[in-house]
Amino acid sequence: MAEDIKTKLENYRTAPFDARFPNQNQTRNCWSNYLDYHRCQKALEAKGEDTLPCQWYKRVYTSLCPISWVQKWDDQRAEGTFPGKI
Amino acid sequence: MAHHSHPYHMVDPSPWPLTGAIAALLMTSGLAVWFHFHSTSLMLLGTILLTLTVIQWWRDIVREGTFQGHHTPPVQKGLRYGMILFITSEVLFFLGFFWAFYHSSLAPTPELGGNWPPAGITPLDPFEVPLLNTAVLLASGVTVTWAHHAIMEGKRKQAIHALALTILLGAYFTFLQAMEYNEAPFTIADGVYGCTFFVATGFHGLHVLIGSTFLAICLARQISHHFTSEHHFGFEAAAWYWHFVDVVWLFLYISIYWWGS
Repeated sequence: MAEDIKTKLENYRTAPFDARFPNQNQTRNCWSNYLDYHRCQKALEAKGEDTLPCQWYKRVYTSLCPISWVQKWDDQRAEGTFPGKI
Repeated sequence: MAHHSHPYHMVDPSPWPLTGAIAALLMTSGLAVWFHFHSTSLMLLGTILLTLTVIQWWRDIVREGTFQGHHTPPVQKGLRYGMILFITSEVLFFLGFFWAFYHSSLAPTPELGGNWPPAGITPLDPFEVPLLNTAVLLASGVTVTWAHHAIMEGKRKQAIHALALTILLGAYFTFLQAMEYNEAPFTIADGVYGCTFFVATGFHGLHVLIGSTFLAICLARQISHHFTSEHHFGFEAAAWYWHFVDVVWLFLYISIYWWGS
């Protein structure tokens, strides 16, 4: 499984088509992957496991999200005012 | 009374449409003045003029119908159509606020945390006071129907009791809602949740007050022997309006209070 993820990450060019978000408005796609990355980090760190699989989500949201959004959400998480559930 | 060979009502000249229009102008421009210059005088003047207009206009209609006999069956039919069209327009009015609510709640934005209710909002428990309010309004729908049947059967005392009970239930709803408003953990300024909640339920409350007033006028008229068992359209119009208010509440309860929590 880790080998698959490694090859997946090595072959990454940009975010692939995600059938959960088929339309032009990709806000939810960006938001979902941002949340999934941080939830993945939190869950795997709690178990003491390697967080490499989480890198996929990070790659996707970095490809999709406006940089200002990511900065704003990172600031909110630091302040404790992030509205999403992580 | 003029003699004519048709059953329609050629209304006498009246100043109330003009005073009503002036009142509407003063109220709306008064609202703008309040927003920009912090003075409520113009708006207050408009409201007073509106109150005087509606009292005298509807008083004249009661005079024309009950005392002068102008409300023949065709005239009454026209009044029925009018009330139905008005209530339909009110349905569309509320539809807009439901649209706004569903637009925001079906696809909650990241600013809300992607959830509904939004992050930080504690909604009211739908099974506490809101459920009681639902029961109160449903009961008032039963009592107003009781009153109608009593009027149609010529049972004067019963009609008075049933109508009074309806108004009391309406007042109880208003009291309960006022308490809820006072104690709610969120305000109208709390994002799109607070906004959709208080604008939709607020306009509903205004319609409860209007409907209660209409029913109270009917109670006064019933006591004064205005209604006959065959001809009591004023009461029917009030009852239709009251049922409309009840139905709007049911939609509010299911959408905003229950699904929205």
